[in-house]
Amino acid sequence: MWGIAGYSTVNAGGRGNAQSWNSMVSGQTGLRRNALPWCDLDGWIGEVEGVEDIELPSALRGWDCRNHRLAWMALQGDGFATAVRSAAQRYGPHRVAVVLGTSTSAILSTERAYAAWKRAGEFPPDYAYRRSHALDALCRFVACALEICGPMVTISTACSSSAKVFVTAQRWIDCGLADAAVVGGADSLCLSTLHGFDSLQLIAPEVCRPFDANRKGLSIGEAAGFILMDRQPGAVNFLGGGESSDAWHMSTPHPDGQGAQDAMRGALRSAGLGPRDIGYVNAHGTATPANDRAEAAALGAVFGERGVPVSSTKGVTGHTLGAAGIVEAIAVVQALEQGRVPPSANLEQADRALAIDIVETALRLPLRHAMTNSFGFGGNNCSLVFGLGQ
Amino acid sequence: MRIDLQLHAAGVLAPGIASLADLLALSRTGVHNGAGDQPLASPAALPPNERRRASQVVRLTLACAEQALRGAAFAGSDVRTVFASDEGTGEVCQQMLEALATTRMLSPLLFHNSVHNAPSGYFSIAHRNRQSATSVSLGADSFAAGLLCAAAEARCSGQPVLFLSYDPAMTEPMRSLLPVAHATATAWTLSAPPTPNGSPPALAALTLELQDGSAQVDALPVWAAPWAVNSSARALHALAVVAGADPEPASVTLAVGGCRLRIARAPQGGAPC
Repeated sequence: MWGIAGYSTVNAGGRGNAQSWNSMVSGQTGLRRNALPWCDLDGWIGEVEGVEDIELPSALRGWDCRNHRLAWMALQGDGFATAVRSAAQRYGPHRVAVVLGTSTSAILSTERAYAAWKRAGEFPPDYAYRRSHALDALCRFVACALEICGPMVTISTACSSSAKVFVTAQRWIDCGLADAAVVGGADSLCLSTLHGFDSLQLIAPEVCRPFDANRKGLSIGEAAGFILMDRQPGAVNFLGGGESSDAWHMSTPHPDGQGAQDAMRGALRSAGLGPRDIGYVNAHGTATPANDRAEAAALGAVFGERGVPVSSTKGVTGHTLGAAGIVEAIAVVQALEQGRVPPSANLEQADRALAIDIVETALRLPLRHAMTNSFGFGGNNCSLVFGLGQ
Repeated sequence: MRIDLQLHAAGVLAPGIASLADLLALSRTGVHNGAGDQPLASPAALPPNERRRASQVVRLTLACAEQALRGAAFAGSDVRTVFASDEGTGEVCQQMLEALATTRMLSPLLFHNSVHNAPSGYFSIAHRNRQSATSVSLGADSFAAGLLCAAAEARCSGQPVLFLSYDPAMTEPMRSLLPVAHATATAWTLSAPPTPNGSPPALAALTLELQDGSAQVDALPVWAAPWAVNSSARALHALAVVAGADPEPASVTLAVGGCRLRIARAPQGGAPC
């Protein structure tokens, strides 16, 4: 049992924990029709308002890019930096690990630099690959910003990245490599993922509608989020995670969600709980026809038909890819704190072909334990279980 | 803060190096044999349509993993995996950037091959492996950070872990940003005592120790200098120390974020007192 000693998120649902939670619990979408000046794809996106206007402090200016601005916004919010400072004082700055997830890091900076190289034959002088797009940049930026110097690693397993960080950080704490860990991640809007998911014909022409009978695909969002995990249990705790592979296809889920079942069962085993102990599952729920069908099959196999209330908050935030794990882990922590379950936003008509108990309006429940699912390309799956302390 | 590990088998691919024996010969003599990049066969374990289209980095990692599974007592379907690389997709990322800077038309194949965990995903498909698969990165410290992940996973799960540290060659113009001219890779089949499946033979025993940032980081040996920009050059160095027979040096100290990771060869059959 590892305590949640602080958390903070920015996503399309809101800047900060309270706004984000209010949007989720009221089913208020943060998605808008794409109006990015640099991308003319049709579809809806989850853009974080104000990210363009963020100025990093001068000491961190060398790390400037959209991904780090998002991370900075989250680090500044909800007393998170103060909580980390207190852990660093208690344990020593080299005893606080940094384990973060991202899928594409700051590839937007490289896309722009590459286009400039095509025009001019050289990369712009202010473009810094190592401090933006390189996968370690996020960890090093966050460690600088928080003034901590523990062991660090970036996990990049596509859309399960910032879920898997919990399990790695837990192992590091269990092995005595650290006493606390900053876990989480960030992913920002970029051409690579917008056009990439478009090439797979997975982007909905309208707002995404997870678990809806007429769902037409996903909406991409951007987000950052962080949790301070402590070896001392707290009011809400991380109880365990399960990780698995589909061994099936690079970008299509196994039709019965076999790998997803393995991940959920692994998480329950790791937490020492049974399916009946879980009061709510925040699903991966991307709103692609294939994902929601496979995930529903897996949920049915693990929890029984309509065995647990399920919702996806991606109708509020969009699919934030490498940041989805942390955004939804924070949603689960908030659900436990509030005793409330957020609905699946944008639902018009729940898909009755899916044998799951889809939450259509917010519920008040005496929750003790809740789960969140994250599945990524490469058939990479991770499920996490959180619970209230004694 | 100490983790004891058994190394059951290892794989190596680098210019002029096609096995652990080749690596140990190079580290002993310091003499490069002058051979160029290893030819990389299409991975026989993948389904035919995936095999033909496999990228260079998928070929590199799957071939290196084969070496480390051939000599180990664990099946490719059973091991947990940790893949570590600095920029893990090489030419694929470059091709995607080129498309985005021109037509903005990506192929679905190019996009799903552009993720950092693409080699790991193909490994799981090739070996029908449904275990945990983790792909990590930490720039020049990618090997040390990945080994820390693999070691902690072996100890906490009690299961064998296949760990890869690798760098695909970059193509221009991305090579001007990250000048990896030649691909290098190592694969390590690891377990933490008590070893699963009884006591399968081990090549070597090693001990990891995480220290604060004050310890001196070891420089690469001269023979590894041609690949100094590759994160996995540090893996070649560490593997030569751990699996080699030279009395000195018996340890390597590397940076991992603000800390240091000391990797020491332990006497066979147990950790040092």
